[in-house]
Amino acid sequence: MSVPHRDDLAPEERDLLARAAAAAPAPPEPRWGEYRAELRARLDAQRSPAARLRRWWARPAPIALSFGLATALLLFALQPVERRPDFAAVDEAVLGARLGLLEHYRVVERLDLLEELDVIRQLDHLPSREG
Amino acid sequence: MLLPGDSGMGSWTAEGRVTDELEAMSDETLCRRIAARDDVAFDLLVARYQGRAYRLAWSLLRHAEDARDVSQDAFIRVWEAADRFRGDARFSTWFYRILVNLCLDHKRRGRWWTRVVARDADRDADALVERQPAPGPDPGDQVSKAQTMARLWEAVHRLSPQQRAAVVLYAQEHLSTAEIADVLRVAEATVRVHLHRAVAALRKELAP
Repeated sequence: MSVPHRDDLAPEERDLLARAAAAAPAPPEPRWGEYRAELRARLDAQRSPAARLRRWWARPAPIALSFGLATALLLFALQPVERRPDFAAVDEAVLGARLGLLEHYRVVERLDLLEELDVIRQLDHLPSREG
Repeated sequence: MLLPGDSGMGSWTAEGRVTDELEAMSDETLCRRIAARDDVAFDLLVARYQGRAYRLAWSLLRHAEDARDVSQDAFIRVWEAADRFRGDARFSTWFYRILVNLCLDHKRRGRWWTRVVARDADRDADALVERQPAPGPDPGDQVSKAQTMARLWEAVHRLSPQQRAAVVLYAQEHLSTAEIADVLRVAEATVRVHLHRAVAALRKELAP
């Protein structure tokens, strides 16, 4: 073989390698037209939107994203369910707590007087209308 | 002009012929056109490299169907990654790197499986060795020579995948040790070690 290279091989060693390469039997030759048609079909399949989507999903970022979403959904689904408040029950509880007040309804009825307590206390200090 | 092989698909334009301009383009220019999604450039590059790609894959994998699949995979990678070809090395080196890596990956992936089916593949290859023509007047010498060739081929096959890749790229594809180092992504010194070990193994095989 006459290829000059920095390979540190002696000529007979190069010759041995060349003989070894030449010893390879000829591979069964494909029909090149079929070969290229098959390649074209594979390439077209590769370029289809579905294949692109599959490749996109195979990338690390989408995998991490989908894993994160799945985890979030799972956590959301598994979290303890907070029962919605039953408003009727709340009303009943409030009313129950106020039963004592109802027993003193007469007094409670007059509680609105207390709203004016400040005014009542200041009655003596109010300027007379006469002046 | 017809492409090598036959008149199937290939670098035929819509008008039915390849322009001389495309024919004259270097591999590197064609690769740049592929990066711009030029189908005709792709077909032309495939036609230029299909034989070498298949033969190299076959030498490394020793299985016709695998060689066909893997060499096609390499062309698909070229289509996908053409825009990443920087042009600081020859296209052939870049392409061989893709192809050899795919072959080595294929061997690594299918190691357990190939052990099971290797016998059939080896039988096919042995049959091919036996089918090699034996021209010449002395049948005895020719048989002896064919046997030596078969032993050499077997010895090459027994080398580690990287060593075998180095030998095939060196002796079959005539790449320099620097180019082989680039293809295999190893130091040039490592390539020289691969070649020396391969020579030692072959010598041992041929020793009486």
